[in-house]
Order: sequence, then structure tokens, then C-alpha cells
Amino acid sequence: MIEAEAVVAAGTLKTTCSRDDLLRGLGIVSRGVSTRTTVQILAGILLDATGGKLSLAATDMELSLRTTVEAKIESEGSVVVPGRLLLDIARLLPETEVSLEHRLEEAVVEVRCGSASYRLHTYNPEDFPRLPDTQGVELHEVDRGTLLETVARVSRSASRDESRPVLTGVLVHFEPGKLVMAATDSYRLSVKETSLEGSVPELEAIVPARALGELARIAGEGEKIVLGVHENQVVFGTGDAWLTTRRIDGQFPNYKQLVPDAFEHEVPLPREELLDVVRRVSVMAQRNSPLRLRFADGELVVSAQTQDVGEARESLPASFGAEALEIGFNAEFLRDGVDSVGGETVRLKLISPLRPAVLQGEGDDFLYLIMPIRLAG
Amino acid sequence: MIVAHLDLDAFFAAVEELEAPELRSQPLVVGGDPHGRGVVATANYAARRFGIHSAMSCAEALRRCPHAVFLRPRHRLYKEYSRAVWSAVQEVVPTIERTGMDEGYLDMGEVAPDFGRARAVAEAVQAAVRGATSLSCALGVASCKVVAKIASDRRKPGGLTVVPAGREAAFLAPFPVRRLPGVGPRAEERLRRGGVASIGDLAALTDDALRGLLPGKLGPLLRDRARGIDPRPLELSSETVSISAEETFERDISEVERLQDELKRLSQLVAERLEAAGQVGRTVTTKVRYPDFSIRSRSTSLSVGIDEAERIWELACACLDRALADRPGALRLLGVAVSGLEAHRQLELV
Repeated sequence: MIEAEAVVAAGTLKTTCSRDDLLRGLGIVSRGVSTRTTVQILAGILLDATGGKLSLAATDMELSLRTTVEAKIESEGSVVVPGRLLLDIARLLPETEVSLEHRLEEAVVEVRCGSASYRLHTYNPEDFPRLPDTQGVELHEVDRGTLLETVARVSRSASRDESRPVLTGVLVHFEPGKLVMAATDSYRLSVKETSLEGSVPELEAIVPARALGELARIAGEGEKIVLGVHENQVVFGTGDAWLTTRRIDGQFPNYKQLVPDAFEHEVPLPREELLDVVRRVSVMAQRNSPLRLRFADGELVVSAQTQDVGEARESLPASFGAEALEIGFNAEFLRDGVDSVGGETVRLKLISPLRPAVLQGEGDDFLYLIMPIRLAG
Repeated sequence: MIVAHLDLDAFFAAVEELEAPELRSQPLVVGGDPHGRGVVATANYAARRFGIHSAMSCAEALRRCPHAVFLRPRHRLYKEYSRAVWSAVQEVVPTIERTGMDEGYLDMGEVAPDFGRARAVAEAVQAAVRGATSLSCALGVASCKVVAKIASDRRKPGGLTVVPAGREAAFLAPFPVRRLPGVGPRAEERLRRGGVASIGDLAALTDDALRGLLPGKLGPLLRDRARGIDPRPLELSSETVSISAEETFERDISEVERLQDELKRLSQLVAERLEAAGQVGRTVTTKVRYPDFSIRSRSTSLSVGIDEAERIWELACACLDRALADRPGALRLLGVAVSGLEAHRQLELV
């Protein structure tokens, strides 16, 4: 059962650790420190010295990060210090031993390193929010590379528009033999199905894309990642770092229904070349002007025009023999798509200028669907 | 239509006085070289007492007032002041047609339902201009441009003249005919020869008499103006930058739910206008006006353009919350605008 864990140890904290270990730990948890908050305590990092180790934790109430640092504990206790400040200090300290001592009666933490010393005003640890407990959550192991590669390719399609919370998340769905992840901001959709060997948990959750981005950041090389879902929280563990995030409520769009069964055209294009062309022409697609893709006579012409700014056009050979077709796309969305499919060749599947298009790599289990822009005039 | 004409008082000279306050008490002429062939651009009121006026030769001005201070115009400086003036004006009256650095028309109908309210708004405009730049301006408020223009000149400097609907012809009648916009030196000469001295005389001409004096289309046009009839709308910049709808309430509203209902209706209107124009927009702005006429607006921008009433409403409500969080209170006006317009529409999946 997850209940709040007792985070507050009784005494006054006194501990010594190496600057590098402290910096690494602070680097992990500091991304959970809330930067824009009226609740002051959320700008703090909880230092907790109990059971022979120093734990660090931060939360912005949506995302919580925790890790432990090897340390010599001279006196057990907990204290909350301004997170950003302690990180800045740790970065500048010489690479030697750092001692942290809580002076309860003065409400300061004294940081000493060599002849440098700092006194930081503290927050009351009683005010620090209780962190979701990871004890007792059923955890499943996933290959780090598989998970993070999927995150990197899928999460770009997640929405940043907070008014539709479900779309700011990535659907993480395990089914027998595979892991499916999907994200959509309603203008494009990324789906990756990854085959998994061995036993697969029965698990489905919409995880904030931001949390997955942080997971990618804190997951060290070559480690397994464990994950579990409990009530409204999703827990990820990597090495000695733990990330807990609020799970997004709601119904993720039925993405399978959104992908057309059949297409009129399928145009293979050299991926790197297409990406370069799209990047170059996009320069002239300012203020949301569309990128125009015109297929005709064995050629693809990519062009963009912004009023009062100028225009660009570039062509590349394309095996397209049907009647000419012009379709418009948001430049950023198309660039993301061409960038995130794998392989040397990207297959661009089209129906008509107003129907969804799909980008897929050769033999890739990743799909990028993009809605066109209806071109005026 | 309720329109105001705003005219800054002795603009260039007033700016020079602000830049060098010691000039304030002296006759000041901004213009060309008094020892060359330059003309007066603006004279301050002290200089006007010597009979100096715009377009007079500077040499003549010097003769009339040998101790006057002559300055060359500093257009870049005036432009800066002008920009500050018009942005202050737009805080109070958003829709304006600038006809020069120092004058322009204001769409008062958009913010005032009647002439009584228009007077209050005009006073707020004068206060806003004074507050932003320390410059004074005269305003004329009327039902059409020509009357507003003549009215703004009535009580200079710093005056305000309101000509209510129905009083236009009577107001114009006593002024010399030369004052009517559109009557140049030649038309004036012809009219004078025909015995037409005042605007009232022109208004009273019969069709035949008018044809004899001013042939072509000009005659009827000027006679209409003399009668206070002027259908010219405000000429706004040709490119539409935003599509908006707003409402001034009969009584100030403070209940958030009622304000949200109003926003819903306005969002619907904006959505219909967007659809009619075949456009979508990426930025939604909510504008609020408090009982003291001060304006606040809050915006949200999206990555793609929208035109759905429901989405516009959602975002407009969030902007309203932000505006009210900054300054709570009852509102006398609420507006919704969508800008960042584009003709291309990003299609959606779900």
C-alpha cells in the first residue's frame, strides 16, 4: 500500500559527503524544484539523513524526484533548503569533501568545504509535502534503451496546451509481447510499438510528456528502468533515482481509428535529403505559413512563402507518376516527423490534400501521422 | 455613428516647450529659416498673439515678432511623441484613423452608446494624452467627420465640443465657408462671388444656384457637408490584423459567471466573423474596461490557428481570469479578439 512515508527524522542533520556525489544528487532532484510557485517550500530540496545515507527529494506536486547520496551521517535529521541555491553552491565548490550541518536554533544549514563556508536559511521540513511512497508498488523491469528511444521518438507529438490535459501526456500501454506508446496534439500522432521479450506487465497509463523527458535525463547509461503504476501515480526507478509523476486522468484518443487503412499514394524518399530540404525551405515558412509539397512528374517541389518576408523552393526527385498533388503541412510538424522516423528511406503515404498523411521508415515499428494544412486559394 | 476628431494643440511647438520648458513663456516658431524662404510649421500660442500662423513665411513671422525664438523642426522627436499620444488614445478608444502626426478620428460609437457618454470618453482621452505625454489636445465629437473636425477647432487649446445628432447644420452655419473641409481657395472665391460667405449660406443653396457656383460633383458633396451630412467612415489600415467583438454593458457587471456568458456570446460572434472571412487566428485576446474607463487586455497564443467558438471561449475565459486576478472589480465592457490571422487552416485529427 502506498501511504505517505515518514520523511521527517527527529534530530538535527549533520553529514559529510563528496562534492561530486552531492552535485550528482542535486542535479537529479533539482529538476523537480518548482521555479514558479507561490508556495515557497516547493522551491526547496528535502535533505534527509537516516539509516546511513543522505536522501535528496524535490517536488512541484506533479513531478517528484528522489535520490540518495553516499554520505557519512554524523547525526540523523531532516531539513529543507532552497534547492536552486544549494545546487549553485555545489557547482562552484572545489572537488573535495563537503559537510552539511543543520543548526536548528538558528534555522540555518551550514555548508563547509575547505575554507569556504555558507549559511543557508532553511524551510521547515514539516511543511514539505509528503512524497508518494514507492514501497510496495509492483515494479516491472524494462530495457532502458527501448523505453528511452521510444520516449524520444513519440513524445514530440504531445501537446503543450494545458487546456487539454490528456494530450499533454504519452499513452504508455503494455500488451502481450509489446509496449505501445502514443502521443498526439491532435495535429499529428506518433505511435511506436516495440516488441518485448519475456513477461510483460498489464499496465496502461497516460504519463505527462514532461516527466518522461526528465526520466530520459536522469537515467544513467546501461541501467534497467523499473516502472509501476499505483492509483494516480506512476513510478519510475533508475539506478538510485526515483521519479514519481501524477498520472493523467481521462480517455486517450483511440489512435488506431485515426490511422487510415489505405492510401492513394506511397512515395519513398531519401530521409536525410528530405530532412535537409524541409529545414532549408522552412526558413521562409514564418508566422505559421505552411510548407507546400507538390508532387508531379517524378519530382517533389517543397516551397514556402511568408507575406512581406519572401519565399523559398527546392526540389528533389520522387517516384510519383499520378496526377499532380499539392499538400500543405506545418513546417515544424513535418520536420519532427521526418526526423523521428528511422532508416534511410521514409515512405510518405498520402490520400488527398485534406486527408491525413503518414510517414514511416523502412521496416520500422514507428508511425507518424500528420494532418495537412488546408491551403487557401 | 459617433466620431471624434482629435487635434493636438500647436503640436511641434508644444513638444519643443516640453523639451525646453524655459521656452514656454516666449513666442516660439517651429519652421524654416527666418532669413531664408522657410515657412512656419507651428507657432505656439504666445507667437500666435503676434498674428503668426502655420504656412506663413518665416520672414514675415520674424517681422511681426522680432524677439520670437525660431527652431528647426525635429521630426524624429515629434514622431516619438506622436506614437506615445496615439497609443495612449487607443487605450481608451481602440479604433482610430490617424490623418497626421497630430490629428485623427476616433470611433467613439464603439465605446460610447450616446453623446453624453461620448463626452466622458473624450475627457478620458484628453486625460490619457496629458498623462502619457503632458501634451494637450482639442476634441470635437459629432455624428460625422466633417462636423467633428470643425468642432475640434472650436475651443482651442484643450477644448472639447460635442455636437449632438440633429444639431449639426445649426452648429456649422455661422462658420466662414472656407473652414469647411473640401473648400479650397478657388471654391471659396467662386462661392464668395455668388454671395456665399458662411457654411449656412452654402447649406441653403438651391440645386440650380449650386450648379451655377460649383459645377460637377463637388457642389452637392460640399453642400451635404455644409448640412452636416458626411457618410465617410473611418479609414482603417487596409489589412485586417484582428477580428473582434465587444460589448459595453448597460450596467457594470461583476459576477464572473455572467461575464463568462457574455464572453461566450462574443466568442460566437468572433467565430462567425472568422468563418465569414475564411480565416483562423492563433492569438485570443480578452479586453476588459473598468468603470473608470481604464483598459486591460490579456492574450494567449497557440501553435496553430483556430476558429471554433468553443475554443475561443475557453481561452478568452482563461484570459479574463488573468485580467481579473490582476485587477478585480466590475466591468463596463468586455471584448474578445482573435489575431495572428491566417487563411490556411491546420486540420485536426480529433
